[in-house]
Amino acid sequence: MRIGLLTEGGYPYVSGDTRLWCDRLVRGLGQHEFHVYALSRSERQEDEGWVPLPRQVNRVRTAPLWGPGHASRAYGRRARRRFAEHYAELAAVLCAAPERADAGPDGVGAGAGRAGVALDGRHVGAGRAGGRQERVGEHGRGGSTSHEADRFANALYGLAELARDEGGLSGALRSDSAVRALERACRAPSALREARTAHVPELLAVATHIERALRPLSLDWHEDDGLGAVDLCHATSGGTAALPGLLAERFLGIPLLITEYGVHLRTHHLAHAGAAPAVRALLAAFQGRLAAELYRRAALVTHANAHARGWQERGGADRARLRTVHPGLDASRFAEVGDRADGGDPATLVWVGRVEPTKDLVSLLHAFAEVRKEEPKARLRIVGAPAGPEGEAYLGHCRALAAQLFPDEADGAHCVGDNPVSFEEVGGPDLPTVAEAYAAGAVTVLSSVVEGFPLGLIEAMLCGRATVSTDVGAVVEAIGGTGLVVPPRNPRALAEACVALLRDPERRARLGAAARARALELFTVEQNITAFHGIYLEIVAHSPVRRVVLGRTGAPLPFAAPAEGHVPGHWAGPAGRVVARGGPRGGAVTPSWAQTTSLATTEATR
Amino acid sequence: MTDLGDLDRPDASGAGRDGLRHRGAPTAPPPGRPTPAGTPTAGTPTAGTPAAVGTSTVAGTPVTAGADRLTAAGHGSRTGTRTGTLTGTRTGTRVDSRVGVASPAVPGEGPAAHRRRGAADPVKTLMHRHRDLCERAVDPLEIAAGLEAHGLTDRTAARFRHRDVFSLAEEIYARVPRDTEPPLRPAGNPADSPPPALRAHVARVLLTLLPGLLCAATVGAVRLTHGQPHLAAALAGALAVTAAAHAALGSGPLGTPPGAAAHPSRLATPVWTYWLLGYALLGDALLAAVLRHSPGTPDAGAVQGVWSLATAPVLALTLALAPATWCAHLFTGRAARRLEASRGLAEFTAGVRPLLLGTFALFLSALAALLAGCAAVLGEPAPYAQTLALGALLLPARLLVVHGRARAAGAALGAAVLAEAAALALPLSGRLPGCAFLATPVESLVDSGGPGIVPVLACGAAALSLLIHATRALATASAHARPVKSP
Repeated sequence: MRIGLLTEGGYPYVSGDTRLWCDRLVRGLGQHEFHVYALSRSERQEDEGWVPLPRQVNRVRTAPLWGPGHASRAYGRRARRRFAEHYAELAAVLCAAPERADAGPDGVGAGAGRAGVALDGRHVGAGRAGGRQERVGEHGRGGSTSHEADRFANALYGLAELARDEGGLSGALRSDSAVRALERACRAPSALREARTAHVPELLAVATHIERALRPLSLDWHEDDGLGAVDLCHATSGGTAALPGLLAERFLGIPLLITEYGVHLRTHHLAHAGAAPAVRALLAAFQGRLAAELYRRAALVTHANAHARGWQERGGADRARLRTVHPGLDASRFAEVGDRADGGDPATLVWVGRVEPTKDLVSLLHAFAEVRKEEPKARLRIVGAPAGPEGEAYLGHCRALAAQLFPDEADGAHCVGDNPVSFEEVGGPDLPTVAEAYAAGAVTVLSSVVEGFPLGLIEAMLCGRATVSTDVGAVVEAIGGTGLVVPPRNPRALAEACVALLRDPERRARLGAAARARALELFTVEQNITAFHGIYLEIVAHSPVRRVVLGRTGAPLPFAAPAEGHVPGHWAGPAGRVVARGGPRGGAVTPSWAQTTSLATTEATR
Repeated sequence: MTDLGDLDRPDASGAGRDGLRHRGAPTAPPPGRPTPAGTPTAGTPTAGTPAAVGTSTVAGTPVTAGADRLTAAGHGSRTGTRTGTLTGTRTGTRVDSRVGVASPAVPGEGPAAHRRRGAADPVKTLMHRHRDLCERAVDPLEIAAGLEAHGLTDRTAARFRHRDVFSLAEEIYARVPRDTEPPLRPAGNPADSPPPALRAHVARVLLTLLPGLLCAATVGAVRLTHGQPHLAAALAGALAVTAAAHAALGSGPLGTPPGAAAHPSRLATPVWTYWLLGYALLGDALLAAVLRHSPGTPDAGAVQGVWSLATAPVLALTLALAPATWCAHLFTGRAARRLEASRGLAEFTAGVRPLLLGTFALFLSALAALLAGCAAVLGEPAPYAQTLALGALLLPARLLVVHGRARAAGAALGAAVLAEAAALALPLSGRLPGCAFLATPVESLVDSGGPGIVPVLACGAAALSLLIHATRALATASAHARPVKSP
């Protein structure tokens, strides 16, 4: 099978975002062929070069998302008119106010009124994102929102077709006619409140961002010898990276798989928090609608945890086409420590991670003070390097706090003392590897207040260590029932849980073994690769690409693909059964004899 | 950070958060709760069985206790404050309180916290804490993303009686008052970048003056030398001036934007420019010689006259690079300021057009003054019409290239070059037998206005059309869009 891997600022580049995961995926699926289509984010990224590519990567095509874009020839009059039409449509959809005025200030108040607002708001959100027809159909506005989604999609594909026919969309997207179209849409009476405040700089900023986001439309990737030659497009993130896949799906029928480790919509909201309100409103509408269209068109959408899943559902993804694929860690690094029988130093707590304020080491130190009251022999090893200048400052502050909370102590009157809290880094003679760091203690503690997917926790689980962690991010999802979880910012609860584990070696061992088993089952690279392999096969089985096979003379070869290979509709889905009464509907005609036979068999089996 | 002080305002009793922490963090566990020896699992009956390893612990932790819930909710979004304000003083007090004050256990600590935390409307408290985020937001998802970045999870949202963060954000978004017009744009405006340092400024001015100075030196050297050194000085001077002009046009207001796409017309533009300058240098004399020199009568004087150089216009034009740069700087800066202030595109266009024409006039008058000065110094006649026409062509062409409209500039320059080349070629081809009619238009033209009429017409027509185009193209807002920085 040939897979088109679509990345943005990602895989083949040395400084790419998800290059480790992509590299493992590509190397792990050596039986498939990979074509990589990469968009680079900056000149520096391009200068830094690629990671070494394995043999199964047959082709790499790159395009820059930075710089001024393609220089292009000017459009003729007809092309200009086509462009203006589609762009005006796009701008109108972006500026159109979602109908949520009735969820307004009457919800102010507590209790039941608030619940009503929440319920209403949820519906509006689902509808606004242009979700499935049947879901938004629950309330009255469903029709209009899905109409808006269709308008967006039509405008987008119209622009794509224009770029395919005439080329040079990049210049047109930056041209004055684009900015004028945006201005007209913003001044329309039904426009968003924030959009109406857009002045010239805001309009320019929006036009520039849209130009950049739509740059894949101008590429020649979605052609027969480009993405047309693959069996499946795998976009490694949402947004712009998945756009070539979307076009390939639309124009060539190539199925699209989207993997979002960080949900693009959420990242977008966080990244543009400083922009002007009008820019944020328009870009949020653009990204939201793009995400909805991507989710609607994608064969399957995968995510790493329930949190990302929530965002995807919110963005309009169909629940039936969402799949959770947990990120995988290389378990071999931790195999030796995990198999070791000793449970580490029974009085030592270990914290491993990058030192930064969101890790809330202050809370951990306070909790450790409580632990020391119960277990005077306890020690705490904080292993990790500071992240950035903020992390440096925070580390210094934590050191000072530890020195104040815990005086140095010695075994006897004639020994040199030591502090029960030590700050170390991996790589020294004491802790050569991360695995050794986890092995040093009996209990691993995680005290974060903000966390995405806690990879450090997975490492501890792979090492077979009992863990105490705060209930943040995807911690509960990762740990399952194999460790203790306490609320964040609650040093006392953290201390109580640590003491409980320190005093109960048997329970520690049990939890550690369970954690290791869970991690080995769910969070290994092999599991990750196998899951994607299965998803590839599933997608290709459900939506195979049909190509016309050419003979030696270049003419289409008759009967190259046997007719039996084509099964109309889905066998398993409910749609397959509806097609029964033989009308000429999309070629899905069942002969009458087949109809009766199948009915008879079902009758008989009943 | 501002919300440090305001954080506790919603609290009924007005007790500071640190005060609460002092009390809520006693050295001995409160009597109402199991001792640490009991551990969280002690409360559950199945603590010892392996089956309950995880579930019991999760359930046994104080997640479900009402008081802790609220406390955690109150603390739930303090990341921002904490990350930003971990100053020495604050932690100092906290440390002292933890170490020094062996406060007795406070019975019923949870309910007290409950009351003090203003539990009547926890969402209001949350909104107050994140009011920057809430007031700024233009989309509920923006609030959801911001709250999540501060550590709020779906489980925290459950404490606000919401199913998930999204519905909580929806409520917050609906409740934030939106009577006032949203602020136009955030305070930190990228347009108000600090002016470049004085040293860089001086360096740039020197760089723009360099081609003119080199040209002056070359002219002096050419005048003073004869024979072999004469030619060498002319060649070396031409090369030096070219290099200096490239350096001067490499950056600054007349510099090409970095990373601009290589377009064929971008490569052609410098070639056309050099041709036009070359014609200004010796074109008139060449044309006059071509016309004067009829076939069959070799004339030594005519051959001599071919190489008589008109240095004044070229010197003036190279010197005019400095005022051109300054004019372009003025135009770009004013246009950017107008861009920030304009409410609509039409308003911007209406404001920029006179600005462009004014800049243009300023440059032409500077060029005329320079030409007069150069002609006086060099003792040559000052061909105002030719030089001003050429200057009027070169400045808009360069401005268009800088603002990403290289194609039109290339076309106009190319047309002027073509016209001048034709004026030279037609009389020559007229010498072919039977082709005398080809030379007639040029001859009649030169007869009526002298050889200088050719560049005046060629450059003037091109300049006029380019100027008309520039008033349209450079007055659009998209020509002044700033390139976005890559994330």
